[in-house]
Amino acid sequence: MEIIEKIKTNKLLEYQTEIQKICLHKLQSNPLPNPKSELWRLSNKTKFSNFLDYSFNEKDLKFDSPYPNNSQSTIRLIIGENCQIEFVEENYSIEQLSEDEVDKYIKEQISSFDQNENWSDLLNLSLSCKKNILGLKVNGSKIPPIEIFSHASSNSLNAKTLVIFLEKNCDVELIQVNLGKENSSLSQSTFFFLEENSSLNHGVVSYGENGSNLLNSLNVIQQKNSEYNLGSLHFKFNYARFEINIKQSQGNAKTNIKGMQITKKDEQISTYTKIDFNGPNGFLDQINKSLADDKSHAIFEGSIIVPKIAQKTDASQLSRNLLLSDLAQIDTKPQLEIIADDVKCKHGATISQLNEEELFYMRTRGVTLAEASKLQLSSYFQEIISFIPVSKDKWDLLDKLLNEN
Amino acid sequence: MQSQMKESDPILEVENLFASTNNLPILKGVSLTVYPGEIHAIMGRNGCGKSTLSKIIAGHPSYNITNGDIKYSGENINSLEPEERSQSGIFLGFQYPIEIPGVSNLEFLRVSTNARRKFLNKEELDTFDFEELVKEKLELVKMDQAFLSRSVNQGFSGGEKKRNEILQMALLEPKIAILDETDSGLDIDALRIVASGIKKISNTQTGIILITHYQRLLDEIEPNYVHVMADGQIIKTGGSDLALELEKKGYEWTDHFVKET
Repeated sequence: MEIIEKIKTNKLLEYQTEIQKICLHKLQSNPLPNPKSELWRLSNKTKFSNFLDYSFNEKDLKFDSPYPNNSQSTIRLIIGENCQIEFVEENYSIEQLSEDEVDKYIKEQISSFDQNENWSDLLNLSLSCKKNILGLKVNGSKIPPIEIFSHASSNSLNAKTLVIFLEKNCDVELIQVNLGKENSSLSQSTFFFLEENSSLNHGVVSYGENGSNLLNSLNVIQQKNSEYNLGSLHFKFNYARFEINIKQSQGNAKTNIKGMQITKKDEQISTYTKIDFNGPNGFLDQINKSLADDKSHAIFEGSIIVPKIAQKTDASQLSRNLLLSDLAQIDTKPQLEIIADDVKCKHGATISQLNEEELFYMRTRGVTLAEASKLQLSSYFQEIISFIPVSKDKWDLLDKLLNEN
Repeated sequence: MQSQMKESDPILEVENLFASTNNLPILKGVSLTVYPGEIHAIMGRNGCGKSTLSKIIAGHPSYNITNGDIKYSGENINSLEPEERSQSGIFLGFQYPIEIPGVSNLEFLRVSTNARRKFLNKEELDTFDFEELVKEKLELVKMDQAFLSRSVNQGFSGGEKKRNEILQMALLEPKIAILDETDSGLDIDALRIVASGIKKISNTQTGIILITHYQRLLDEIEPNYVHVMADGQIIKTGGSDLALELEKKGYEWTDHFVKET
């Protein structure tokens, strides 16, 4: 782990921005997360080391999009490649945040970061150079869907950061695609700030190739009367972590999350979520699905924090898991921390296998076992896929990849 | 009429069938032969093995045949997969049709129908042609087209599920259909619709096995043979009058036949 040595000895970067200095300083004395802590204890050590084994690369190869270009109907942005972004139309505007605005917001965030809990973001912000930080300010309505791509180049570790402010009354549909090339590591940190009455339908689709690794951290702050909907899908990574931190800063906000992770071979993919209600009348509806095959390992840990100030919170967190092999492993831990006394909160977890009676029913109608299993899996995916804010048939590749599973 | 039927070869021959699940014997020597055009009714108390027999004929993987044979069109099918049996023309109508959320009924019916058509060397149907076919068959069971866009059996009432089973039977055009308690949970009108659908689908080339507890289905569809099952065996076979007698005397009346076997 050459990169850790370089952080320790402060030899990682010749030129450091102020943010990089602050983050590197926070990591210097203790550059790795605590492997015994709840957030990291299940993380596969070899795979995590593999994430850090690739040499850090500020420049990456030109992005070659495997997706059909929908430039007619969508706004496509690629982190690290877009220099000047400015879309100003009658109903909306999408403008780049100034360096000062980005710095100010990130510094505010870092000030409360904990070395262990926010390790992924601290690493990301230590590595992300200015070119790889995309900051946007979005305003208005009837905004075309936005697609934002991040990718890692083969045999290297890349860091990309996205900061988006949604101004008051703004309504946006945004899909974020994280692509891992063969033998690569991608560190992606995303920060959303939703002002009052704004609404974001957010999709995250992350997939890799052989030997891809991903640390994907998502931080959302919601002001009152905002609505944040997240549909996410992670698959085909040797090692991937998806960390979601959502704070309803004044309560009175809505959050809906439907996430899914698919693991095969000896992959490990985990999702950690922390939803913090910091005011009354907050709402959360969350479902996380895992599907684990072969010798793979899927992990979900979710925590909902409801302090005394968050009266009348209505929160639900469910973890549904499908084990397709005797050697696959699933760990799931949805949990609630409730101090307020007038709340409606529930959580639950199920682990099951493919339904034998459903399979038999389909087979008695001439559908082969393989097709029946695929139909059953697609029905399992359906709830999540339909929540990702992009019409599925537009995404031929996504279709293809899902059919492989 | 019966001798006329038997001029052709049997569709289904179950010969001294013994079967178990989790080492628990369920069928203990069942024999049954069905010729084209015949309707057989199997009656018996709960747990006597009626449904198990239907599932084993359809190829349920949870049951092991420990002795005996199932022959379909003269071929032993003991080791055929359920889908192979279905494609070749064996249909099982479920007592409790399974709900499959997220899978559209229309697409499921199309995939099933095409699997059967492929076996029959018929051209597979695209969505457009299939919709035409399915509309025609919907009439048989008086189902609304709206059922097609819903997930398979999800949110269907008991009667709608059973009609969906008969719709599938109509589309698959089986050579032998085993209908497991198709009449359970149906009101009188729904029972008539289902029975009329079955009669329209069946012909001189099809065999039908009706598994039922009640005479009321047999009032609508008159069987050629009625078999009474108890403890994994067929203990008595007769004509349609046997069902009437059972209705009158109850299953207690058959207890002494068990002792005889």
